[in-house]
Amino acid sequence: MTNHEFIGTGAATCKRFWRNAKGKISIIAIAVFVFFTIALLMASVFSPEIRSQLIYLIPVLFMLLVIPVALNYMSRRQYAELEPVYAAEAKTVRVKLINTSMIGKPVRIEGVVERVYFQFLNRPQFLVADRSGEISVKMFTKPSEEVKENDVVEVIGKVIHRYIVSGDPVINCVAIRKLKKTEGR
Amino acid sequence: MSADTTKKAESKNRMLEYAVPVLGFSGAFLGLFIRMNALPVDIRITILGCLLSSCALAYLAWIRPRKDIVALTTPLYSIIFLGFPLDDVATIVLEFLYAASLTALLVRLRNRFGESGSLVMDKAELAEPISRYMERIPDVLKNVSQESGHAAALVVTRFARGDFHDAALTAEAEIAKLNDARAPRIVQEAFAIVREQAEHLDKSFPAPERFVTFSSDAHSMLVKEPVSPGDKNDLYNSTLENALVLLFACAWAASEQSRSDLLNQEGFVLQLLS
Repeated sequence: MTNHEFIGTGAATCKRFWRNAKGKISIIAIAVFVFFTIALLMASVFSPEIRSQLIYLIPVLFMLLVIPVALNYMSRRQYAELEPVYAAEAKTVRVKLINTSMIGKPVRIEGVVERVYFQFLNRPQFLVADRSGEISVKMFTKPSEEVKENDVVEVIGKVIHRYIVSGDPVINCVAIRKLKKTEGR
Repeated sequence: MSADTTKKAESKNRMLEYAVPVLGFSGAFLGLFIRMNALPVDIRITILGCLLSSCALAYLAWIRPRKDIVALTTPLYSIIFLGFPLDDVATIVLEFLYAASLTALLVRLRNRFGESGSLVMDKAELAEPISRYMERIPDVLKNVSQESGHAAALVVTRFARGDFHDAALTAEAEIAKLNDARAPRIVQEAFAIVREQAEHLDKSFPAPERFVTFSSDAHSMLVKEPVSPGDKNDLYNSTLENALVLLFACAWAASEQSRSDLLNQEGFVLQLLS
């Protein structure tokens, strides 16, 4: 690989990274960054000691933004890799058939999103219902497309306990994608 | 398990429940007594009361089907909180507070985490909707052989676990045996329905245009009213639910050895009935 090609590949990776990161930073990460930026600005105005440390503090400040973005990027990439594996193994079931004996099984459900929680934390939780019942769908990263209430979706994931070792069954979602918009809801 | 064993387990658990506050506060009061009478005994020995009390609480949390992580870790906390040397007054105060906390946790455990696991496993009664259904179909249940009951239990258990292929195979094997037996026709139909639908689920197929259903003379013996044939999906789904509940009832009635496995699937069956 020539130097030009190497630089080109690196630039492409960076571009992909920032394209993925765009709009995927949680509001909490931004709030933390803004809070510490203001704190650092005020401290550096009043304290000469802080001003002398700015060369270290500014990069650390940016790490507060970069680390969540990097973690999000990595988890999204991992989810993208897992999706075909789960898609191949998952059985399409109705919500009513999902029970605690199915813990650990990959499943696929189709239903309407009735509620969306914690979207702003990049850890969304959806309440998905089909004609047989409703179930919580937890996702530990931001979905590849924006999912809102009343969207008809296909969910692929694994059945887990709500509280790791106990609680009702919920789906640890690997992929959620919109099928079509519901009408008249 | 016999009623006698259940009674013994119940009384043992009740004793342990009393032991939690008794041991905790006894240790604290003993510490107070030692301090007030200036006895030549290391007051920290009374920490054992809280330690034993927390072990009893952890055991009570352990035997419940739903685990309370807070109660389970109390022995660890008793070592962390009380194991480090403090002066006498602080030790006694801490012991009183800790005994009160353990008592509060015991109340929480009883209220929020239900009956102990051993008692749940020992119960011989099914939930009311299932037992009521079983009372409706005595003629069907008494004609199910033990082998068929065991096969029905396997089918229900495997289906509930999401092992649809295995459930279909077990049902198919049982259908082959039942063809020349005197088993009630409705039971044969139930096996055939579960076999077909489990196969479809295993391959993630949607509801087909034509599928196995219960014959019309069996409708009065089903747990749910059959849906009108106009709604294909609802009919398909309710047929499966009726078949699974019927097989569960047959398994419970005919195969006593399968009952502990079936109890684990009781929640699934109740979910189907909801």
